[in-house]
Amino acid sequence: MAEVSFYYMALASVVSAVLAVTRPNPVHCMLWVLSLFLHVAGIFLLLGAEFLAAVQVIVYAGAILIFYLFVVMLIDLPDEETDARLGRHWPLAAIAGLSFAVLGALAWLGPLDAFADALPAAAESALTDSPGEGAVARIGRALFGPFALPFEIASLVLLAAIVGAVVLARKRTSQP
Amino acid sequence: MNVPLNEVLGLSVILFGIGMFGFLARRNLILMLISIEVMLNAVNLSLAAFSWHLDDPRGQVMALFVIAVAASEVAIGLGLVIALNRNKPGAAVEDLKGLRW
Repeated sequence: MAEVSFYYMALASVVSAVLAVTRPNPVHCMLWVLSLFLHVAGIFLLLGAEFLAAVQVIVYAGAILIFYLFVVMLIDLPDEETDARLGRHWPLAAIAGLSFAVLGALAWLGPLDAFADALPAAAESALTDSPGEGAVARIGRALFGPFALPFEIASLVLLAAIVGAVVLARKRTSQP
Repeated sequence: MNVPLNEVLGLSVILFGIGMFGFLARRNLILMLISIEVMLNAVNLSLAAFSWHLDDPRGQVMALFVIAVAASEVAIGLGLVIALNRNKPGAAVEDLKGLRW
């Protein structure tokens, strides 16, 4: 059952991503990206990352995508549907993207299996959880324990982004 | 619930390649930023897969940091798009040649 739903969500997210980067209408692109985000949230659920799935839906699909939609509707994009939506160099871009397919084939066909098998042994000593805790409690302990300083720095990054967005998008009334 | 690590990593790589193609090929700044979101999602997917495979919450914590950085990147990037839109309507990258010599 989990296998079937994983393959469904993998296929749907790949199709959504392809449509999102190739559709001419920007609003359609946003809606395909929304579909991609929701399917990736489903894969997070299969991977036991419930908190990450909730954050994905709330922050990505809720906040970030609405911000994109606001800007798409705020500024005028008249020639997006009529002009070429890909630059003339798009075959080069396709080659660069397809070079990742080689890496994907390596992961799929198994030369990296030894790498994946070697991983758990290396991580066994790093486990610090106490038994009986849920996944969210473990994330909370990690976030406010060893990751407390990066967590505070992330809030500073967000504050800088808020101030920067206001400064950039503000209309300059008094020119020197 | 047994999703093999290899297949999640393969999906992550495919999504990253699609996002990279979109970033390099699209001519619209907003859609280039959206392609960056696709790439960041692919990276989050691989972080979550490693976290699940290794039974270690630190991968998910890093994915949360990636989401926070993505949110700030969107705020700054779209602020720049709005500021550029004031000089010249539209969001085509070809219009940005003020720094070219």
